[in-house]
Amino acid sequence: VKIAVAALAAALALGGACTPEADDRAVVVWHSYAGDERAALEEVVAGWNRRVAAGDADAPGPRIALVSVPHEALSDKLTSAIPNGNGPDLFIYPGHDRIGDWVAGGLIEPVEYFVSEALADRFAYDAIAAMAYQGSLYGLPLAVKSVALYYRTDRIERPPATTDELIALGRRLTGGGRFALVYDNADLYGHAAWLHGFGGRLFDERGRVRIAGPEAVAAARFAAELGGPGGIVPPGMTGQMVSTLFNEGVAAMAISGPWLLAELDDGVPLAIAPLPVVSATGRPAAPFFGAEGVYMSSRARDKDGAFRAMAALAGDASAIARARRARQVVPNLAAYREPDIGSDPVLAAFKAQAERSVPMPATPAMRVVWTPYETALQKIIGQGADPAGALAAAEREILGYLEDP
Amino acid sequence: VSAAATPGGAARAARRSALGAYAVTAALALAIALGSFVLHRNRSYREREHARARAAAEAIARGERPAAHLVAGGLVSAAQPSARYPFLRRRLVDGRPLGGPGAPPGDKILYDAAQRAEREGAQVRFADPDGALVLAARPAEGGVAVALVEAPGGPAGLPVGLLAGLLLLGALVAAGGAAAGPAPRALGLAIGGGALAAPSALWGGPAAAALVAAVALAGAAADRLGLLARAGAELRRQRIAYGFLAPAGLAMLVLVAVPLVVGLALGFYNHRHGTWTFVGLDNFVHILSGGGRALSDPLNFYFTLGVTVLWTAANVLLHLAIGVALALVLRQSWLGGRGVYRVLFILPWAIPNYITALIWNGMFQSEYGAVNGILSALGLDRVSWFSELATAFTANVCANTWLGFPFMMVVALGVLESIPRDMHEAAEVDGASAWQRFVHITLPHLRPALAPAVALGAIWTFNMFNVIYLVSGGAPGGASDILVTEAYRWAFERGERYGLAAAYATIIFLILLVWTVLGTRVTRREAPP
Repeated sequence: VKIAVAALAAALALGGACTPEADDRAVVVWHSYAGDERAALEEVVAGWNRRVAAGDADAPGPRIALVSVPHEALSDKLTSAIPNGNGPDLFIYPGHDRIGDWVAGGLIEPVEYFVSEALADRFAYDAIAAMAYQGSLYGLPLAVKSVALYYRTDRIERPPATTDELIALGRRLTGGGRFALVYDNADLYGHAAWLHGFGGRLFDERGRVRIAGPEAVAAARFAAELGGPGGIVPPGMTGQMVSTLFNEGVAAMAISGPWLLAELDDGVPLAIAPLPVVSATGRPAAPFFGAEGVYMSSRARDKDGAFRAMAALAGDASAIARARRARQVVPNLAAYREPDIGSDPVLAAFKAQAERSVPMPATPAMRVVWTPYETALQKIIGQGADPAGALAAAEREILGYLEDP
Repeated sequence: VSAAATPGGAARAARRSALGAYAVTAALALAIALGSFVLHRNRSYREREHARARAAAEAIARGERPAAHLVAGGLVSAAQPSARYPFLRRRLVDGRPLGGPGAPPGDKILYDAAQRAEREGAQVRFADPDGALVLAARPAEGGVAVALVEAPGGPAGLPVGLLAGLLLLGALVAAGGAAAGPAPRALGLAIGGGALAAPSALWGGPAAAALVAAVALAGAAADRLGLLARAGAELRRQRIAYGFLAPAGLAMLVLVAVPLVVGLALGFYNHRHGTWTFVGLDNFVHILSGGGRALSDPLNFYFTLGVTVLWTAANVLLHLAIGVALALVLRQSWLGGRGVYRVLFILPWAIPNYITALIWNGMFQSEYGAVNGILSALGLDRVSWFSELATAFTANVCANTWLGFPFMMVVALGVLESIPRDMHEAAEVDGASAWQRFVHITLPHLRPALAPAVALGAIWTFNMFNVIYLVSGGAPGGASDILVTEAYRWAFERGERYGLAAAYATIIFLILLVWTVLGTRVTRREAPP
């Protein structure tokens, strides 16, 4: 708070400058990083600014001024500040699923004008493709995020390769107050891996919501087998319980993302592997894939300069520093040619999982899907409701929200 | 006094008071005239400049070169998409590649405009926040014709001379009428105040002119009835008090009145993907008709209303019973360490309520929650709290009772302190039992003080968003949602239906308004003579 007050005071004193260190030509970047990620980003930016000041030909400027915004407030601040001309030039957002909303609201600037094939080739295809919407490109990817399978090496030697193995192993490990697996099974984000593994989708080819097909029903039935009575997942799971139960050793396996690492104690003996193959279909379980990106405000003052800063933030040097310091799963292919990054087992597991995953839909319709789908999952897993009926009811509810009153 | 003593002085005083009345009328009329001028100016500027840009794009489409005001433009070729990346493509403008090193600064605008026109068809819009650059794009043979045009002049300036002249003319008419007698005075005020109707008609059409005329007539009528003179005298008499009130009044206007009016207005609109359409009472009809859903469906308004009323009643009753009971106990002289207990009982109130709500949510968790832990330690069955409405509702009520009773306890303690001890002593001497003393002395004193606390507590509980949202989260399936969380879900979880959410908020407001009016009536009746 003191820093914020000081910044505010300085801004008032300077009469309109955005941060204490900002000069008129610096590109202002809003981000919501904390901890190691923030330290890594600050290191990257400090390095870039030093090179700009030294007149490095590969760093033609402009300087970058970072502004930290609390994660919960970022989205609201962007939608209120940018249309009034008070927003940043660039911002880092931990996901690509809001792009559709931002384009509809005129908040972000298309950048494909600046991007050559050679630049796009530096990123994993899915990561840069996730930044595209309606045929235009709206950002550059900084990191990819998906869940994967964490397992405690003191209780499991080899991670299950198929869902049949998962259930067989799970039955042995469950009992006496202990459970085999924890994951947020009432949340669509946690369930999506099974949905896609059974061949289900949320939207049909024409973009209409279709969530009650036979594949989706089979996936929900499988989730009920895992989490229902006599299952291998504790009843009444919530997101907060995952880290606690895995940390304490109550659960031998957890399905979660890179963020779980920060919540675990140092001594937990763990390894990470891609999710198993769904035995019924032979397809790998494919979780949602989110691409964290750097986006340009439609009100950025100097768009050429802002893009140079954007390319620097998403560049290979930045990616290597962020992967090393904050263990971010970066989409830059060159980063994995560094020996220490290429051999990091955590990064390798998440990278392998990212390659078998489904980008989270970025359409505005997607935002209506979450809550009804979760209600259906709670009924199916917690109360033994019929999957086909519960999902059909959720689909009717969603379609009702998408129609006019 | 001396001025009014002579005939000339009386006329001067009449003129002066008429000018005061005229100033009020003219200020309102001027505000209307200025508003209609700004709307008219913006509209005509937009039409003029959009037409200019559209004509430039037409010319480019025909293969001509529009010379005047063109900043950048040309025929942008159809895209050559990249083989690997469908979202990357190269474009040429008049045979030259767009973008690349050393490209002119307008290139990106041309490129993006062509991309958008290919996707959405012909369009024209301002290309910068100041409205100095206009961009027009339309599909043409061989690609997209794009023109970026600079507006040669800004929008028309405010005709200050005209407005000042009309105001002066109006003042002269009003003063002249006042000098001639009461009937001409009213006529003069109506005509003088209506002078601005002419330019308003020019800018805002008959509606604006009618509004100005209505203001002038109302001003003349108010002056005739002496309302303006009385209000002016009152203002002058209490000018210090009104001076002190002004900053707070202004703050209330900006922070309370404006959002309230905007919120009420939004209820008449429908919001879809960033566009607002006026739908009249549709949102209210949709809500109050139950939206075509069965009464047992949690999305039916009356289901939610029933839950909300039940929720409010259960909470207020528990807050009141526990609060008063604890206050009575804490008054007893035999109780040691009363100060410590008082602090402990106020703690739930002192902790931010969302933290308390999250803690209760964890305690009602079915597998590892403290509540089920206690139940199973006692040999009872575990309850899956959030899978049924009755249990989820109970969990919410538990959390909110914990949060709410300290307020009632503090109010009741304050009242109990104020009951003279000699009344109790006299009753005791007369042989009244403890129960009789409670019913005939304590209760009559408590009731008038607790009535407003109950009214206020009911309003807080009716809108207790944090507890519902964080403890049960509406589980199962939105059944335990109350009206205010339902409004939130329409706004933020069900496709940004801000209009519908605003209509919900309006209905909540009306319910609470009725409740407050009834509450005040009851309080007034209860108040001791």
